[in-house]
Amino acid sequence: MAILRAEEEAKVRELFAGLERPVELLVALGPEETPLPGARDIDFGAETLRVCEELAALGDTVTVRSEQEPEGFPRFPAVAIRPEGRDVGLRYDGLPWGYELGSLVGGILEAGKAEPTLRAESLEQLAALDRDLALDVFVTPT
Amino acid sequence: MLLAYRLALASDRVTATAIEANEFPRLAEEMEVYAVPRIAVNGVPQWDGSVPEAEFLRRVLSASSS
Repeated sequence: MAILRAEEEAKVRELFAGLERPVELLVALGPEETPLPGARDIDFGAETLRVCEELAALGDTVTVRSEQEPEGFPRFPAVAIRPEGRDVGLRYDGLPWGYELGSLVGGILEAGKAEPTLRAESLEQLAALDRDLALDVFVTPT
Repeated sequence: MLLAYRLALASDRVTATAIEANEFPRLAEEMEVYAVPRIAVNGVPQWDGSVPEAEFLRRVLSASSS
């Protein structure tokens, strides 16, 4: 089953055509936490790879590859969104489906921009940051 | 989610991870995820819901300095 409807696919293709730099999706596969009841028939890793491959097929500069248990990934499956193949700390942990497919597509679009898109004041505050910040955003697909 | 990604892209000191709560129920329970989006900073749950950029950054910076 396709992950996007035809009109959504056309829109994503158009958006990906506007990327200013290449974006690599690194799908990290490994042991998965026992899922919720009713979800145990899903192979989350395989599905995550399939979703990423289908997205990558929509843009010439979007690529995908997978690795088994790469370092630095606490949970599997996970997707690292890597502008120009560099790890800049953008992740999606889990299978991006339903509403959350939009987060992954949005992440790719953001990573594909050559310059940060925050307000000037925000950039100033971030430039003065003297500590590391790990932001975790818990989401659900529905 | 996109704001968190934008922050991570703008600073080498920031990482941003979306975590599918249903798929990682143990972590979701630890982080007391009852509503989404729930935002945690450096492993500590902070707030639920979307806020504008300036407020998001204010909350994130204040959380990490405490």
